[in-house]
Amino acid sequence: MGAVTYPDPKVVQFIRDNMVPIQVLFDAQPIATEFNVKWTPTIITLDPEGKEHHRTVGFLPPEELIPSLMLGIAKSDFDQEKFGEALSMLDKLLKEYPRSDSAPEATYHQGVSKYKSTHDAKSLKAAYEKLQAEYPSSEWTKRAYPYRLI
Amino acid sequence: MANIIQWEKDKGAALKRARAEKKHVLLDFFNPG
Repeated sequence: MGAVTYPDPKVVQFIRDNMVPIQVLFDAQPIATEFNVKWTPTIITLDPEGKEHHRTVGFLPPEELIPSLMLGIAKSDFDQEKFGEALSMLDKLLKEYPRSDSAPEATYHQGVSKYKSTHDAKSLKAAYEKLQAEYPSSEWTKRAYPYRLI
Repeated sequence: MANIIQWEKDKGAALKRARAEKKHVLLDFFNPG
């Protein structure tokens, strides 16, 4: 990460614009125990109160790290019931990184966030249909499978 | 401004900044070896 991904100009810009970055050794205490870290790199998205909302383990290239961080921010906003802000970040992720590994999960959360903000269940069915069309082998397509019946 | 990530080293300082700047926190655990 330190040799390839973090020096990437797009990564630097995204983090500068959207996040406060903190880097600690894998065995730093008490934080490594607090977050149950057993392998590196472990990258966690926290809200400003320090609560975890998203985690990845293992190397990510720049074109995967940025959408993963976008997904983490969106999940944090969703968990705090900021559905409009979550949708805005998910829309941006899917527009800029539609073929990234984070895109299927983002599509799922896009449908759920729309449902939570509008209470229109058709948002869930639309999410399933988009997942089935664009990411048929994704685990997130399987998770959305019940929504096909709506 | 240097084109590198300006890492915080202390969680408390990072959270304080995050609240002030209304941003989320990227917490990276790394192994220098």
